[in-house]
Amino acid sequence: MTASTAVRPTERTPFAKYRHSLWLLTKRDLSVRYTTNALGYVWSILDPLLMSLIYFFVFEVIMHRGNKAGEDPYILYLMAGLLPWTWFNSTITDAARVFSKEAKLVRSVSLPRTLWVARIVLSKGIEYVASLAVLAIFALATWTAPTPYAAWFPLGLLLQAILVFGLGLIVAPLTVFYKDLERAIRLILRVLFYASAVLYSPMLWPSHLGPIPIRPLLEANPLTGIMGIYRAAFWPQELDWTHILISAIGSLVVLGIGLLVFRRSVPAVLKEM
Amino acid sequence: MVAIDQTQTTRSGGADAVISVSGLGIRFKRNKRARRTFKDLFASRQRRTRPGEFWALRNVSFDIRQGEAIGVVGRNGQGKSTLLKMIAGVLIPDEGSVTVRQGVAPLIEITGGFVDDLTVRDNVYLTAGLHGMTKRQIDAKFDEIVEFAEIPGFLDTPYKHLSSGMKVRIAFSVITQLDEPILIVDEVLAVGDKAFREKCYERIEQMLANGRTMFFVSHSERDLKRFCARGLYLKAGELVMDGPIDDVIDRYNDDYGMNTLPPVEGDAA
Repeated sequence: MTASTAVRPTERTPFAKYRHSLWLLTKRDLSVRYTTNALGYVWSILDPLLMSLIYFFVFEVIMHRGNKAGEDPYILYLMAGLLPWTWFNSTITDAARVFSKEAKLVRSVSLPRTLWVARIVLSKGIEYVASLAVLAIFALATWTAPTPYAAWFPLGLLLQAILVFGLGLIVAPLTVFYKDLERAIRLILRVLFYASAVLYSPMLWPSHLGPIPIRPLLEANPLTGIMGIYRAAFWPQELDWTHILISAIGSLVVLGIGLLVFRRSVPAVLKEM
Repeated sequence: MVAIDQTQTTRSGGADAVISVSGLGIRFKRNKRARRTFKDLFASRQRRTRPGEFWALRNVSFDIRQGEAIGVVGRNGQGKSTLLKMIAGVLIPDEGSVTVRQGVAPLIEITGGFVDDLTVRDNVYLTAGLHGMTKRQIDAKFDEIVEFAEIPGFLDTPYKHLSSGMKVRIAFSVITQLDEPILIVDEVLAVGDKAFREKCYERIEQMLANGRTMFFVSHSERDLKRFCARGLYLKAGELVMDGPIDDVIDRYNDDYGMNTLPPVEGDAA
């Protein structure tokens, strides 16, 4: 045998194996996307870009939104929210159908199963970071300088990765058994989009809606703090440590539930493959 | 990608056993559309069988030592492939345990990891990588893999443009180059033209001669006798016989011989 037998795959640590496979699957996702679509990179930013322009037109040009929470330039504000939302949204949508889409691979290779979700989180996360170039262009075009709070950006990435990984782990096995869930998720995501501080600042939330204390309900959303971290790069007033604490706790709880659900349901999932 | 050791008890089956299976059981729903509740989903691993379920395998125990070639015999739907999948780690048992102590090269749905839109070259790196090889190891083996598959000149062709024979050849070539000490084979050899099939057989024989352990499922008496020394006979989800392959095949033929009608017992899985 050749020198290639030096390290048998099985002799590496589980962590190294996990990382190795995760990277391979992520690279596969990205290269499939970029070899089959001539406009690969453009596609990953086209959706948030287009939506930003639409919302800008509707709220700024038509409705004369005003600058109540100091979120100008609004187009930049929209981009800063819609780009991470795209990561969130596409990861969960993809996780919901991962077992039906990758059935052949799941049946033929024995890998740690959380990889099927983790690789979506990572490849979509990479696309998100790559899409930030567009944000930079808009910042330049509107001549908006970043603040030192931009240094917190990696914390936002980390929290969001934990959150979407946890949600993906919940959604992926359940959709195998309940096909309707895939549609339900799309609806829930749409509601969540408007309930999260993507289009507006959380400072604009009213404290009560009639007798309902709406503000605490909305603040319980772990995305709020994450959006705040991202936004603080240009709008320092958006950095709210209470929100961030809620995000951190919420994300970890979701991850815990996700790991539990995934672990318990995976034997049944494999039988359905 | 080994050690599927999911369960509580791992009875160490002899010092040199590379695969230990003890008290293995798995059940499936008879009716896919049977009502399923959330409770169902999470309350796994209960011993009792719920209505509408059946045990595809139960109380199966055996040990395989290094270098053994085991053939699994049984009619369709008696749990052969299910057993194989649990050893390969792509199915998780409901009771008992499977312990695999060395790396596995699974020849199960061998084209499963291949992506239509990527080139053959990318696919080789992807599949071999997912089975645990590093990039350097694949680099070193790459020419050998391609040469065995007999598809020079197609390396940068998208996988989907290969003929089905070529697809199987490259997949077989990749998996058998994994250099893992255990080989699991699930009737994949039925594909490909005659010349290539013979080449595959030679490759397997050569691997066995190098001390590989093999777990082999086949309906072909000839292939079983050619490769295996020991046989396992599965019937209705139970291991009814474990012995020399010739005896196992004789017993199987007695059960379903030419002159007797096949009994109807045991539902199809």
